[in-house]
Amino acid sequence: MSLKKFVDKNISVIMTVLAFASLLIVWELVSRFTKAGLFLPPASLILEKFILSFKEPIGKYTMLTHIGVSLYRVGVAFGLSTVFGIALGVSMGYSKLAEAILKPIFEFIRPIPPLAWIPMSILWFGLGDKSKFFIIFLGCFCFITVNTYEGTKNVDKTLIGAARMLGASERQVFFDIVLPSSVPYIFAGLQIAVTAGWSAVVGAEMVHSNEGVGWLIVMGMTYGKTVQIMVGMLAIGLVGFVLATGMAKLERRLCAWNNQGM
Amino acid sequence: MKGFFEKNKYRLISLCSVAGVLLIWELVTDVFHLISPMMLPAPGKVLETFIYKLTGGVNPDGGSLLQHIVSSMKISLGGYFVGVLIGVPLGISMAWSRKFELFAKPLFDVIRPIPALAWIPLMILWLGIGYESKVGIIFFAAFISATINSYAGIKQTNKVHLWVAKTFGASNRQLLFKVAIPTAMPMIFTGLRLALGSSWVALVAAELLAATKGLGYMIQVSRMLGRPDVIIVGMVTIGIIGYLLSSILEKLQKKFVRRTK
Amino acid sequence: MEQSGNVKTILECRNVSKEFDAYDKSGKTEVLRDISFSVKENEFLVLFGPGQCGKTTLINVLAGLETATSGEVIENGKKVTKPAPERGVVYQKTALFPWLSVMGNVEFGPRVRGQDKKTRRETAKHYIDLVGLSGFEKSYPSQLSGGMRQRVGIARAYCNQPEIMLMDEPFGHLDAQTRYMMEEELQRIWQSEKRTVIFVTNNIEEALFLADRIILLTNCPSGIKKEYIIDMPHPRSYVDPKFLSYRQEITENMDKSL
Repeated sequence: MSLKKFVDKNISVIMTVLAFASLLIVWELVSRFTKAGLFLPPASLILEKFILSFKEPIGKYTMLTHIGVSLYRVGVAFGLSTVFGIALGVSMGYSKLAEAILKPIFEFIRPIPPLAWIPMSILWFGLGDKSKFFIIFLGCFCFITVNTYEGTKNVDKTLIGAARMLGASERQVFFDIVLPSSVPYIFAGLQIAVTAGWSAVVGAEMVHSNEGVGWLIVMGMTYGKTVQIMVGMLAIGLVGFVLATGMAKLERRLCAWNNQGM
Repeated sequence: MKGFFEKNKYRLISLCSVAGVLLIWELVTDVFHLISPMMLPAPGKVLETFIYKLTGGVNPDGGSLLQHIVSSMKISLGGYFVGVLIGVPLGISMAWSRKFELFAKPLFDVIRPIPALAWIPLMILWLGIGYESKVGIIFFAAFISATINSYAGIKQTNKVHLWVAKTFGASNRQLLFKVAIPTAMPMIFTGLRLALGSSWVALVAAELLAATKGLGYMIQVSRMLGRPDVIIVGMVTIGIIGYLLSSILEKLQKKFVRRTK
Repeated sequence: MEQSGNVKTILECRNVSKEFDAYDKSGKTEVLRDISFSVKENEFLVLFGPGQCGKTTLINVLAGLETATSGEVIENGKKVTKPAPERGVVYQKTALFPWLSVMGNVEFGPRVRGQDKKTRRETAKHYIDLVGLSGFEKSYPSQLSGGMRQRVGIARAYCNQPEIMLMDEPFGHLDAQTRYMMEEELQRIWQSEKRTVIFVTNNIEEALFLADRIILLTNCPSGIKKEYIIDMPHPRSYVDPKFLSYRQEITENMDKSL
């Protein structure tokens, strides 16, 4: 194979490698040979510390525990908000009465960012995990509710007609048509919610906690340890990426029928 | 009269529902004292504080509501504009030029999963706790939404439209400015709206951690001072402004992006 | 119940008219005007009319999905008020449930009506085979071609054992080649398991190829213009002189304005 052919074939890999290589080289040079090195530790050092952090504890725990604690907080709150969000979204989308009662209250709460609840939630639930669950719950809940609501509202009327024509009862129309056809919307909501939840846990832990990835970077800030901050950011970014891709994969699996749209 | 009730049935129910929540709130606080005012102040008290802060009262946090709002808006809009000014062209060029995409997209994808809040420590360490560091944080929040949506908007340009324009002899430049960007406008606008939303959210976080003014600062300090009424006033103000910002952009979108399908 | 000879009347449409509010609410748009006809057991009746006006509405009224402004639809002596399993509909846009497999779609009717799994699977399998989709039981609608999706729609309607099948331009979205094939297929399916069919189309060849009887509709509002008994043996040929003379006669009587 000639060189040109090889380059053409693997152009995307080559460009990616080139992009990262140039970034890392510039970074390394800047931090080692200019005054910016005071603020910007070399990339190699961050990578080294990151790998080391899985063996040597930062604070009381190693990296795996910090990530684990944060994931546990997101997991609990995300689970709760999934249950409540879908229930609320479906009832508002399906019943006009429920919509009239619940929507104005929901619409009032919705624009308040989850982190703005932090002071109130500390008053109500103290400084422990409960308060964090509450904030993350709010962070996920609105997205799931809104999307489920849209999904139930947008059910294709012909499909409902077809189901009635085939003899489905009101109940069966709900469980066999309305719910499954909202699934893609619900999943879109879950996908946004998992990212929002991860962001909320970082925020909540930054405001107050004794462990977790948010704590890592805030402690780094308090003691002026840039390396620790960047190691924490690396962990936050990696986990966030894994969560988002995981959800996307799960969606593609469970909504295979929706691939080309109908 | 009956027709009126029939017609506005659901609106009336909504009204009753809101009134019911306020009533329960009043009952558990002021009437039966089931919840301590340190946990949840009565609605009347919140309203009183709201009016006090709105008319220029500076206690207990050292600034009137308007001062906090102006301070927060300055930061949030500043970061937002920088983020949009860089994000939109970046998104468009990544989607338009294959070579640039191959180079820049992987780098962007590394930054993308990092929540804007996670930049706070680094920004504060680099730029201090003043205006610049907060603008920097908001920048990241706005930049990512703006880039992603512009990129997606250009990518979804209908191939047939491009072919038609090409057969009429349009240059690459014309294809971009006359076909692709107009097609992408709705998506770009959505990006602008989402970016404004995330800027506002990130702002609260930034001010919770390090600030001497601003709505986020106001609610954080009020917690330490044990003034839940001020916290609620702050939360509601944050909510209302967030809502207003997004509806203004929605109106603009409807006005300027009409030919959408 | 009305009897004529030995053949039972299944469905009767009596003076059905339908109006909608105009877009600007300034007045009414008349879509159906005074439509009356009846259809007998195992008859293949085609409602043929030009343009886009009223035919789907008529099917919806017959199915019970919409109510007529005046007039009524009687099925076996009972007034039609809501959709029911006795009247199966095959839709132009298929209206298949995208999250269910071919099997799931076809067995939907018997399932929601509480038939046990074994019986309904057997029935569904029978109709999947009948429409020529053996081996595709597990495929999802999005994985099938337009013609195959329409076959699923037909099997789904058949599997519910309706008294009458209402078909709303079922082949309207298909390309010409597939359309011919599907017409032949439908004819074959209908020959092997006769059902009463009301079939709506705006394609004259399709109408002549399938119908025992054609009702020619006027355009906007739709009303009945003329009726033709098509007395030709199946399978029919598009170039049969008799076919062509029917075609000429009906075309001459069609509303030409749009």
